[in-house]
Amino acid sequence: MLKKIEQIKNDFYKALETACGTQADLSKLKADFIGKKGAVADILKNMKEASAENIREIGQHVNRLKSEIEAVIDSKIREAETALINEKLKKERIDISLRDSLTDRGLCDAGYHPVTLIQREVEDVFTSMGFEILDGPHIEDDYHNFVALNIPEHHPARDMQDTFWFSDLQHLLRTHTSPIQVRGMETHRPPFKFVGPGKVFRNEATDASHEMVFHQIEGMMVDRNVTVSHLIYFMKTLLSEIFGRTVEVRLRPGFFPFVEPGFELDIKCLICGGKGCPVCKQQGWVELLPCGMVHPNVLKCSGIDTEKYNGFAFGLGLDRLVMMRYGIDDIRHLHGGDLRFIRQFKAY
Amino acid sequence: MNISINWIREFVDLPEEIGSELGKRFTLSTCEVEDISVINEHLQKVIVAEIVKIDNHPNSDKLHLVTVNKGKESQQVVCGAPNVRVGMKVPFAPLGTTLPGGLTLTPKEIRGVVSEGMLCSEAELEIGSDDSGLKEFPADAPVGVSLAEYLKRPSDTIFDIDNKSITHRPDLWAQYGMAREFAAVFKKPLRNPFDGEWQKQLEERLGKGASPVSVTVDDDCACKIYCGLYVKNVTIGESPDWMKARLNACGVRSINNMVDISNYVMLELGIPNHIFDASQIGGSRIHVRRAGSEQTFVTLDGTEREILPRDTMICDAEKPVAVAGIMGGLDSGVKETTTEVFIEVANFTDAEIRKTSTRLGLRSDSSIRYEKSLDSQLVRRSSLRILDLILQLCPGAEPVGSQVIAGCDNVPYRPLVIDITCGKIRAVLGTGFPSDAEIVDILERLDFSVENRNGMLRVTVPSYRATKDIECDADIIEEVGRIVGFDNITPEAPLTRIEAVRLSLPKQLHRKIQDFLVLEGRALEVMTYPMIGEKLLKKTEWPDLNEKLVLKNAISRDNDRMRPSLIPTALQTAALNAKNFSSFRFFELGRAYTGDEKNFSAEKNQLVVGFFDRKADSFLPLLNTVEKMFDYLSYPAVIEETGGSNTVLPKEWSGVHPYEYADIRVMGKACGALFTVHPSLTGSLKIRGKLALAVIDLSGFENIKPKDKVKYKPLPKYPGSLFDCTVIVPRTAAAAETLRALKSVRYKELESIRLVGVFLPEDPDVKWVTLRASFMDPDKTLDGAFLEEAQNRIVAELEKAGFPLKV
Repeated sequence: MLKKIEQIKNDFYKALETACGTQADLSKLKADFIGKKGAVADILKNMKEASAENIREIGQHVNRLKSEIEAVIDSKIREAETALINEKLKKERIDISLRDSLTDRGLCDAGYHPVTLIQREVEDVFTSMGFEILDGPHIEDDYHNFVALNIPEHHPARDMQDTFWFSDLQHLLRTHTSPIQVRGMETHRPPFKFVGPGKVFRNEATDASHEMVFHQIEGMMVDRNVTVSHLIYFMKTLLSEIFGRTVEVRLRPGFFPFVEPGFELDIKCLICGGKGCPVCKQQGWVELLPCGMVHPNVLKCSGIDTEKYNGFAFGLGLDRLVMMRYGIDDIRHLHGGDLRFIRQFKAY
Repeated sequence: MNISINWIREFVDLPEEIGSELGKRFTLSTCEVEDISVINEHLQKVIVAEIVKIDNHPNSDKLHLVTVNKGKESQQVVCGAPNVRVGMKVPFAPLGTTLPGGLTLTPKEIRGVVSEGMLCSEAELEIGSDDSGLKEFPADAPVGVSLAEYLKRPSDTIFDIDNKSITHRPDLWAQYGMAREFAAVFKKPLRNPFDGEWQKQLEERLGKGASPVSVTVDDDCACKIYCGLYVKNVTIGESPDWMKARLNACGVRSINNMVDISNYVMLELGIPNHIFDASQIGGSRIHVRRAGSEQTFVTLDGTEREILPRDTMICDAEKPVAVAGIMGGLDSGVKETTTEVFIEVANFTDAEIRKTSTRLGLRSDSSIRYEKSLDSQLVRRSSLRILDLILQLCPGAEPVGSQVIAGCDNVPYRPLVIDITCGKIRAVLGTGFPSDAEIVDILERLDFSVENRNGMLRVTVPSYRATKDIECDADIIEEVGRIVGFDNITPEAPLTRIEAVRLSLPKQLHRKIQDFLVLEGRALEVMTYPMIGEKLLKKTEWPDLNEKLVLKNAISRDNDRMRPSLIPTALQTAALNAKNFSSFRFFELGRAYTGDEKNFSAEKNQLVVGFFDRKADSFLPLLNTVEKMFDYLSYPAVIEETGGSNTVLPKEWSGVHPYEYADIRVMGKACGALFTVHPSLTGSLKIRGKLALAVIDLSGFENIKPKDKVKYKPLPKYPGSLFDCTVIVPRTAAAAETLRALKSVRYKELESIRLVGVFLPEDPDVKWVTLRASFMDPDKTLDGAFLEEAQNRIVAELEKAGFPLKV
């Protein structure tokens, strides 16, 4: 009996060698040896002939042989399957080097305008500090752009603002974002904190650093007991966030009719750290933004009780920040619509 | 404006060394010092020398070897000047001198002979303009003395002040006013030479009777006060060197003693003035009035100016002699033969002077100061200062009659008084300093008078600060703050109520649009000018020229009006970039500006999206992007091919493709359009390819919060069923017509019917469209009878609509 088992084993390996290896062949081989009518089954049928003490030993041998054959065949089948799939993959092979970034499909870059990038950053810093974001019209009247900001007709400060006027000489393109402030005060009761970003317009000859359309963000805080020290705190926080490191700021007197005291805010030159370099014209400081405590006349004009409330206001040129951040040498690109410029700020 | 530190030293003691630190402190407390420079430094080194011997240069015909006597010793230099002569007194610059041009003298070999030092011309030393030869000094010039000493041109430090930073400070347009600031900032005593004693002495010199020239000021003109003074026995001549040096330091050219005195006093005290040749004043009368019938006037500079009736003129009995506050007339000034003068010191309304000078395009030193709103209280003092200087320069001069004063400000002055507490000053600055005593000290140094009762201050403002600059307590806080130094204030966060802050709805929408179009739409964001020109509107065949919103003073015709739509600039953007790229996608979020009868202007936020490809279709990719965008934005939107009317395209515009067109309706409003630009327009704009645009007016819905309509449904427990069928459709019909035909087929189990595919058979008149209906019942397995009925219904409806089943 044991001999017969050994014989089957030898027969199996011989048959395996001659089998051509397809899945069907292997399945047949499996059936021939360990199937219900296979060679191994035959032995089990003839077990009755064996003595009782042999049954146990033969049974063990048969089971071992069965497992062995099963394992060998299954592994062969898997091999055959994999070979088949690999063959298929070879036929279906694609050129994985043909990626978009290497293919000329026209202009496929996508991204935000650089002013949008900076404006969002600034807006987000302010909203995180509790400032609301307001908007206002570009076409303004004399009142909101000048009079309500303590700049009456023929005030010398109008000199500093080269204004685009409409034919009726009553309406104009806002020369700063401050009218947003005025409109904000008309709709809000103190205490409040808000900023107003947007386009502003100046009638001046354009060149690499002058534009007739550019962007500002204006902001104000009105509450009880607002101080110059608070103003410096907010400006320092804002600028440190924008420049990504602690910025040193200083205030010096500056004249703007809508604030009193009025300041020019300088930041310590980020290039030379205050030692003096061509960027800061050897001064160590760079003039960045005008600000101040809101002039009582401006608050009164909007019906705010100056006995109870006071506040600060500031204005910041966004284009300047954009140009500083990206090293842009010509401001006219910003409104130029040339995608060769815009694509440089692509998001992907 | 220039500050001469030498001049300032006359009023304040400043440290010997004037460095950049001092300038920085002045910038932080008063006004912006743009530059600090030293003038005439070279004149300390250059000396008067006498030519004692002239030899010919061995290697040149034109050059000479000149031996000069420098006082203690003599020296030979090479010189090429044509006017060398033995006995001549000339300027000699020794080695180490840095000339104004920047050249520092070192030993130099000239044609084989070493020259150590240089003989100079006027121009080389910048003490005059003559560059034809050596400067020759009078024979009595002392040899060996420095030119600084001999010419009385000491070296001087000049602060160049940014004019913009003193627009609100008329008192700082004067050396004396600046000196007061130096005194306050650096805590030094201020010397006031123009005190009561000085005034009394000069007034005693005045004549007793009336002035020979009478003065009338009309009430309706711009003149607030006019002070006249007649002086006889004046000799016109050159000014003394000290005066020339001061004028020179401030950038003013010396003319003659009278003109120089006039300028000197303006620079010193900040009050413009005019010295008339008294013989030219017709009828011995000055009449300040609005211009009448005069239409033109020739000013001092020889230019004929147009005069309007509202302009204020200084006139004599017959004719105008000056444009008030701006410039004198051609013949009004002193001449060499003048012996009697009439001194005018006046004040005018700032706005009027500004108006006239702006119109004339004539900003003189005088009008610049008047525009800042000057102090009428200062005219007497300035007039006396002019007399003071005339008496110094022409000892024989003599005033005739007293000062003649007229004008509405010739009334007793009531000073401005402001009440404020020291506590408030510290509170607004947000600091614990300065102390009450320091506050009072700062204000007093600035010439305010202060009554202090336990920190409650009653501050009297000097008249020259009260013309416009100082009005209320905030101004007093500024005075204290700037002298303390705002840079000394420590930043501190406020204690304030916390409130939730969110972006406004439009802002949220705009950001989501940008995000979607960049990340999913694969587009670049652009910005274009809100002002455009008629040319662009015509080129893009836009019918509305927006004539109502034309600028009065545009920079160019290409930007002379507001854009009525974002489409013209989008077309311009496409044309610009089609040259460089074979395909691109862009968008702009901007404003369109219109006006109507009721409102001067209306501004609407518009979105324009442009897809361009030289070959491939742009319309469908754009449509799919916009459709998905509205899903993302959660606004219900329909993009309908049928097309109707909308608010963004004028009916007459010819730029739209006849078939590739759809209207966009958002929340029921037809507020947008999506189309391929008509090839005839892209052709004329030289855009070679297919350009599709979507334009959407956001103003109709950006302020409405979109509803979040997502509602969860349990996942299906029973299998669904799909039914596909292919129908024959005319080639020219839209495939989606088949879906429209099935609109009436409604079962609760019918989830959707979609297009699966379109096949174009050989027959050129038809196409085969395959549809797929999807059925599902959440509560049970679908039964066969129902499915059969529903499928038959679908086929029947399609057939009814003219789309028979393809068998």
